[in-house]
Amino acid sequence: MKVPSGLTTQAEVTGDVSVECGAVIVGSGAGGATMAAELAEAGVDVVVIEEGGYHPTSSFRAESVRALRTLYRDGGGGMTLGRPSVLFAEGRCVGGSTVINGGMSWRTPGRVLEQWSTQEDVQAISEQDMEPFFARAEARHSVGWQDPETIGRDSELLKAGAEARGWTVVPNRRNQLHCAGTNNCTSGCPTGAKRSMLVTSVPRALALGARLFADCRVDRVTRARGAVTGVTGHFVRPGGPRGPRLTVRARVVIVAGGAVQTPALLARAGLRSASGQLGRNLSLHPNANVTAFFDSDVTGWHGVHQAFQVWEFMSEGLILTVENLPPPMLAAMLPAHGRELGELMADYNRVVTGGPLVADSGNGRVRSVPGLGTQVFYRLTDATAARLVRGVELTAEALFTAGARRVLLPFDGAPEVRGPEQLRNLLARPVSGRSIRVYSIHLMGTARMSEDPRRGVTDSYGAVHGVPRLFVTDASLFPGPTGINPMETVIAVSMRNAHRLLERRDRYGI
Amino acid sequence: MTSGPDLARSPRLSAPARRAARRFAEVVCPPGMLAHHRTDRVLAEFEQMLAALAPAARKGVAAAFVALDQGARVYPPSRGRRFTRLDDQAAEAYIRTLLSRGPAAELVQRIKGLVVMCYYELPAVQREIGYHPAPYIAAVSRRRLESYGPQIRAGEAAVTEPDADAGQR
Repeated sequence: MKVPSGLTTQAEVTGDVSVECGAVIVGSGAGGATMAAELAEAGVDVVVIEEGGYHPTSSFRAESVRALRTLYRDGGGGMTLGRPSVLFAEGRCVGGSTVINGGMSWRTPGRVLEQWSTQEDVQAISEQDMEPFFARAEARHSVGWQDPETIGRDSELLKAGAEARGWTVVPNRRNQLHCAGTNNCTSGCPTGAKRSMLVTSVPRALALGARLFADCRVDRVTRARGAVTGVTGHFVRPGGPRGPRLTVRARVVIVAGGAVQTPALLARAGLRSASGQLGRNLSLHPNANVTAFFDSDVTGWHGVHQAFQVWEFMSEGLILTVENLPPPMLAAMLPAHGRELGELMADYNRVVTGGPLVADSGNGRVRSVPGLGTQVFYRLTDATAARLVRGVELTAEALFTAGARRVLLPFDGAPEVRGPEQLRNLLARPVSGRSIRVYSIHLMGTARMSEDPRRGVTDSYGAVHGVPRLFVTDASLFPGPTGINPMETVIAVSMRNAHRLLERRDRYGI
Repeated sequence: MTSGPDLARSPRLSAPARRAARRFAEVVCPPGMLAHHRTDRVLAEFEQMLAALAPAARKGVAAAFVALDQGARVYPPSRGRRFTRLDDQAAEAYIRTLLSRGPAAELVQRIKGLVVMCYYELPAVQREIGYHPAPYIAAVSRRRLESYGPQIRAGEAAVTEPDADAGQR
C-alpha cells in the first residue's frame, strides 16, 4: 500500500513516537480535516491523529459488511441505551464519517442559525456571517446537483409519488465531482467522485505540510497549570493490541472526534465543564425505514445513493428520502427470518427503502459507565416518536402513490400493508415509541457552543470555557439539531473557527 | 486491505457459543444456506464481524448465544432440551418466540440482523437475488471518465492548489 507523504500508519511505527507541533487535531473527519487544512494553509505546524485506518479510494468495493468492519466504529453497531435502543453508525477511518455518508451537502437553515444565536448567544453565526464559509466549503468539495444520468429509479419513484401528491421535492446538493452513481457511498466511494475528506482536506493538509498519524487512539489530553499541553495516545496493532505510545506536545489541542468521542475524551481529560453540559443535549436525527415492494424491477443500486428530498414537511421537522440499501443491510432490517426472509429478499430488485429524517429534541447523553466504557443514552420522546410515525406514514403514502403494491413498516409486529387505506386505518391507532426500529447517522450537540459558560461547553468559536488552548470542532458543538444533513454545517463552522483561531494566533504562539 | 485491524487474528467464539450460533444461523438464514453448504462461510463472516464490534457488545453476543442455547430448556415445547438439540420445527418455534416478545426480543433481533447480514454478503447469494454491482460500477465509472474527464482532472488538481482568498485570511 502506498501511503501519502506525511501520513504514518501503525505499520510504519516500531517504537514510541514523540512529536511537537503548533496544533494537534484529534480526528480527521469533516471538522478535524477541515481545521487541519485551514491551519496548515496559514503555515501552522499541524499534527492530526486518527483512530481509524487509512483506506484509499482504490480499496473501496461493493462489500458492505467488510466496509462495516473496516471503515465504521464498532462495525457500525453502536446502540444507545434506552427503549427503543437506536442503532447508530460513525465513521472510523482517515476522513471519518465523510467517507461513509451519503454525501448530502446543505447549508444550515437560517431559522436554525437564528435559534442558535438567540438561545445560546452564539456570535457571528447568522446566515450572512456564515455565507463566505458555506461558499468556500461548497467550492472545496464540489457541491452541486447530480448529473441526470446517475439518478436511479428508486429516487424517481419517490419524486413521482411526492409530486403527484403536490409535495415539494428538491434535488439533493451533494459534495461530488460528477458522481458516477455507483450507489456505494456507504462503503466508500470507489471512484473518488464523492469529495470526502479522504480526497479533499486530508490530502490538502498533507500537501501543506501537516502530519497525520492513523491507527492511533488518543487516551488523554495533557494539561499543566490549567492549560492544555498536548495529547497522549497509542497505536493500535492488527487485531487490537496496544502498540507504541504517541506523545504530542502542542500549543493548542483541537478535538474533533464527533458527538460521542469528543465528550468522552474531554471527560477522560478530567474536564468538568462549569455548565454541566458536557455530554448532554445529544440529538441524532432519528430515522426509520419503510420497505416498499413494486411489481416491476426498480434496481435501486443503479443510481446515486439519494437523489431527492421531500421538503414539504420541513416546518414539522421532517424530511423524506429514499436510499437503496445493499442486500446485507436490507436483510438485517427486514422483520423476517428463514424462508420468509428468503422470499422477501428474492424481490430485492423490486424494493424501494426510505423514510424520514426527524429533527429531535436533543435529550440524549454521552457518559462513561464503569465496566462498559463510553455509552450513549437516548430517550425517544413522545413528540419525536409521533413525528417519526408521521414521517413513515407520509413516505409510505408517497410510495403507494408511485405504484408500490405492499409496504413493510418499521414497527415491531406491524402487518404488511397493502394500500393507503389499510395504512391509514393501521396508523389511526397509537404506535408505541418502543416498537419503532430506529437508526441514526447524525449525532450532534454534546459539547454545545454558548457564550454563557453556565450553558455551554465552549464559546461561540469552539474554545472550551475555562481551559486555555483547548478547542472543539465537530458536530458536538451544535446547540441543537440542524434538521438537515449536517456535514456542510460541520465544515463551515470548522472553517469559521479556524479563521478565528488564526486571527488570534499570536496569542497562542502558533 | 490497508491499515487497521487484521481480523484474521481476532478472537473467536467459544465452542458452545459457536454451536449455538451455527444452529441459530440455520434457523434465521434462508434455506439456501444449508442447501448450498454455506454455513461455514456465514459463520466465518459472522466471527469477523463480531471482532469489529465494541468489546462489550462482542462479549454480550457471545454470552447471548450461550443463554439462548440453555434458555431453550425452560421453553415448554422443547421438553428440557437445549436449543442445539431441538429439531427444526421446535428450533424455529423457539426463535420465533424469542424474536417476537419478551425482554430479549430486541437483542435477538439485533443478532439475527448480524447473522443474516453475513449471509447476504456472500457473492453467490447476491447473484441469486440479482445483485452484481462490480460490472455496473466498472461501467458507470468508465462513463464518468469518458463524459467528464477534463472537469474531473481539474477538480482533483484543485485540491492542493491555494485558495484564491488565501492571502486575505
